[in-house]
Amino acid sequence: MKKLVLIIFLLSLAGSCLIGSTAINPFEMSAVERDIMLSLRLPRVLFSAVIGAMLGLSGSVYQLTLKNPLADSFTTGAASSSALGAVLAIAFGLPLPLVPITALATGLLGLLIVYRLSKTNGVINPVTMILAGVVMNIVASSVISFAKYFFEDSLSSIVFWLMGGFFVIDWGKLMLCTATLLIAYLLFSVRALQLNMLALDEHSAQSLGVNVERLRTIAFIVATTLVAVAVSHTGIIGFVGLIVPHVARSLFGSDMRQNLFFSMLLGALLLIFADAASRSIIPGGAELPVGIITALLGGVFFLYLLKTRRERFWHG
Amino acid sequence: MAELRIEYLNFQRGKFQLTLDQLVIAPGEKVAILGENGSGKSTLLHLLCGSLHGHGRISYNERQLDKIPVADRALIFALLPQFAEVIFPFSVEEVVLFGRYPHTRGNSFSDEDWRLSEQQMQDLDLLNLRKRPFNQLSGGEKRRVMMARVLNQDAPIIFLDEPNASLDIRHTLEIFKLLSGRSETVISPVHDISLAERFFDRFLLLKKGRLLADVPRAQLTPELLTETYDVQVTRGAAAFTFQHN
Repeated sequence: MKKLVLIIFLLSLAGSCLIGSTAINPFEMSAVERDIMLSLRLPRVLFSAVIGAMLGLSGSVYQLTLKNPLADSFTTGAASSSALGAVLAIAFGLPLPLVPITALATGLLGLLIVYRLSKTNGVINPVTMILAGVVMNIVASSVISFAKYFFEDSLSSIVFWLMGGFFVIDWGKLMLCTATLLIAYLLFSVRALQLNMLALDEHSAQSLGVNVERLRTIAFIVATTLVAVAVSHTGIIGFVGLIVPHVARSLFGSDMRQNLFFSMLLGALLLIFADAASRSIIPGGAELPVGIITALLGGVFFLYLLKTRRERFWHG
Repeated sequence: MAELRIEYLNFQRGKFQLTLDQLVIAPGEKVAILGENGSGKSTLLHLLCGSLHGHGRISYNERQLDKIPVADRALIFALLPQFAEVIFPFSVEEVVLFGRYPHTRGNSFSDEDWRLSEQQMQDLDLLNLRKRPFNQLSGGEKRRVMMARVLNQDAPIIFLDEPNASLDIRHTLEIFKLLSGRSETVISPVHDISLAERFFDRFLLLKKGRLLADVPRAQLTPELLTETYDVQVTRGAAAFTFQHN
């Protein structure tokens, strides 16, 4: 099963390099096609894989630490508040390396507000969390809209970027995102067993020797770093982190020692497919922002979870 | 083996106050905490576990609780909270295995951990449920899984908050019998007084946050219980008596 998923992943990686406004036959490549392949398609496919992995990994950790199957970077408000920081950084003309850092600061702030609002008497209320996340999204979006009107110069670039997509890619960005992903994965995977304990209620986890507050803080910071870096490079791509941890759980079990890795892999897979689709759905070379496709998939999946989990989960 | 010592404990939340002057619980004692709803039973348990903080001194083996790192506490005491939940479909055997977490090094469970979990599942009649997801079990089954997790922790002191809540009579008797035969200290709020009287040796009677009495079984009189619960208690033959076979 694991091998199968890995093989599918590698095949999709290779396959999606051939798909796009011009389909490329790998056995008869012209010089131009080779150029398209190596300097446009390959980095783009790799980039979508890395961003997908980042979002999948962060979703897996958010769902566990917030004890909410509907949590991901989008529903917690972390993505939109990160975007807010990134937009402000761009609008004020801060140097580029500062954009992800500003995004991280506002992202953490947004997540913290949502977390504090949804926690009463040591218990996180799942419904309040989603509501607070939605409101955080609305607030962040309105500040972003304000910024768009106020700083007219950068308006068009911000609008385009906000919809989520892989339009401008270079190897430097790819390296930065890959490094962030690897470090985050390493930090989580050495704590995978400890993270499992967070699936228990807070008192039980604490009584097993887990410093719950500290572990949750580390998890929030690292997961939000993933989101902030992803958002500052591609805009908001919602719901990848919502879908894939559930799929990984039903295929490979709930154990975080498996789930971290497979959420990452399936997140990469999902975004490779979504991006390949966004490149080829509209005939004649135009492309869709990939965020539209993931939001469509994720919205349907969200409704499905809401329906199936209703009895047992929402009404305790 | 661990000795629990409480000195001048005082905790206040709103109008509720819990005070306890002196209490020593020796290794291996089976202590039931009795008292009506809101008398401070669970609060006391949370204070002893360090999840609530009061004034005064709580120490284990002469070591003050505040000075013991969280990871080390798990080797001294285990806790079965009143409401224990697991999010996501972890299997019964995974949850039981969680109990071995304080004994793990690195990121995996040892063969010994697996063997001990197997034993706990056998003791608590869980082997036929082992692959089932925890969150699909009935209330009583969940309780037994959590009990297995707690015992699997292998700590010298076990706090059980109403261990027989939602358990059927057979499993209640089995678990109490199992507990009374073990060498660990057991400290447990219990609602069923007749059961508590049968399986515990020492009784802490709480009323409105105050320790009304601290007595061995022989001195647990109807008068004392009358005062604790504000109901008339007499000794008599029950309509049914249950004996585990």
